[in-house]
Amino acid sequence: MSLLTVNAVTSGYGDMEILHGVSIEVGAGKIVTVIGPNGAGKSTLMKTIFGLLTPTAGQITFAEKEITGLSPDLVVRRGMAYVPQVENIFPSLTVNENLEMGAFILTDDFSGQMEEIYQLFPILNDRRKQRVGKMSGGERQMVAMGRALMLDPKLLMLDEPSAALAPNLAATIFERIVAINASGVAILIVEQNAKESLKVSDRGYVLASGRNRFEDTGENLLANQDVGQLYLGG
Amino acid sequence: MDILSRIPQLLVYGVISGSILSLGGIGVSLIYSIIGFSNFAYGDMMALGAYIALGLFSLFVSWSIPNTPLGPLSFGFGFILAAIFAIGLTAVAVVLIDRILFNRLRSHSSVILMMSSIGVALALRNILQFFWGPQPHYYIERIQIATVIPGLGIRIKPDQVFIILVTIVLVVLVHAFLKYTKMGKAMRATADNNALARVTGINTDRVIVWTWVIGGALAATAGILAGIENKFITPELGWQMLLSIFAAVVLGGIGNPYGAIVGGMVIGITEEVSTAFIPTGYKPAVAFIIMILMLIVKPTGLLGKRR
Repeated sequence: MSLLTVNAVTSGYGDMEILHGVSIEVGAGKIVTVIGPNGAGKSTLMKTIFGLLTPTAGQITFAEKEITGLSPDLVVRRGMAYVPQVENIFPSLTVNENLEMGAFILTDDFSGQMEEIYQLFPILNDRRKQRVGKMSGGERQMVAMGRALMLDPKLLMLDEPSAALAPNLAATIFERIVAINASGVAILIVEQNAKESLKVSDRGYVLASGRNRFEDTGENLLANQDVGQLYLGG
Repeated sequence: MDILSRIPQLLVYGVISGSILSLGGIGVSLIYSIIGFSNFAYGDMMALGAYIALGLFSLFVSWSIPNTPLGPLSFGFGFILAAIFAIGLTAVAVVLIDRILFNRLRSHSSVILMMSSIGVALALRNILQFFWGPQPHYYIERIQIATVIPGLGIRIKPDQVFIILVTIVLVVLVHAFLKYTKMGKAMRATADNNALARVTGINTDRVIVWTWVIGGALAATAGILAGIENKFITPELGWQMLLSIFAAVVLGGIGNPYGAIVGGMVIGITEEVSTAFIPTGYKPAVAFIIMILMLIVKPTGLLGKRR
């Protein structure tokens, strides 16, 4: 069953069109990766799905309801969470406060969900009162993912979660992504360095110059020679 | 009398005017960091609060609400009640100004918001002048005798002690609000990263309204306290203090309310102590020089932006 359907979406910044009719699909509980070179429109796709950019054509459907052009605060309430690539934490707030902000729209008790997140990221558990601005890149990424998970979303969107992280840290992050997915959360990842990401993905898309280029299972894309040469660095 | 012996007394005066500057500075700083522009109307929002208190006070006197001085203070229950209502009404007025004007301009650059705040400043000041005239209005007619603190030879009036105590209480309250309440944390989050706040589902519009409520309440309090200290108010009251408040905010680190407290105290004390060496008329120049020096040496201010 499809959780998120992006159908022939055209979008961009002002007059500059970046996506020229992109279509992707994320099944409930699946991991999907969108790869592509710099400037392919990966981040634009994320922002458009989440309502930060308004598509000029096409439809976006989430959980069987159309969300095309819906503003981010409403998209969040539908059960979608988004972790931007940069500036994805509140630096002057503590770890605990960052997670609390993730639950801002909730009026009932969220301490159970918070404890689950601390179990998922034990390293954060010891640093609840620490300001996130003083933490390392990997820890910040965990805080950002934890913040996004506070609402127990159906879909978690991650923009380059391993960018600028040391390889061993990136592996840890992907391990956590698989753990999050195992709890039933569908995950949409965009990545430039995508081998790690495709390995854990049920499905993958290759985007180039704002258009769909390839589409297959994660495994098959990794095995595909064209994709390998053009987009995975040989 | 030699210059140095006057300095302890000037330090006390500095703490008093520094208290008022700190309150204004916290307001300017919160508005800058959360709403994103330098509010040139802030001084006139202070004057607005001071005049609303004046109007309510004369109303209360005509209703014969008692105003017998409380203990050693030169004002009583009637004035305090007027001040509390004025603080609330100013907060409401400031939110209305936001809804009518600033909110509509929010999608434009911060320069547009800043320029429009200069318009609000002129409008407010002239409205006050239209209703009350340019002449000073006296808050307090009676003369209060200063108490000498034994041993130190420092003189301080009970009203001035009141100003310092009110400031301390408000600073603690604002700190507790920012640190422990959900809305306070959301305000800090929005100041940190507005785009992420929206992505997270924080209702940034409500955050902005709360920022104006707190900013407006602090402005009114600072204006009323300035009226108590000077004993009279004029429509220029806040505008004249705005440069010193901006200097305090820049000195402490733009956008950091805690820096504004430090900056307010440093500017207040330096301005007063400077009068031992140079004519009193140069006080605003002292604030200006400190601000320029800080911008040259360390543009992020003493405490910088909290990261």
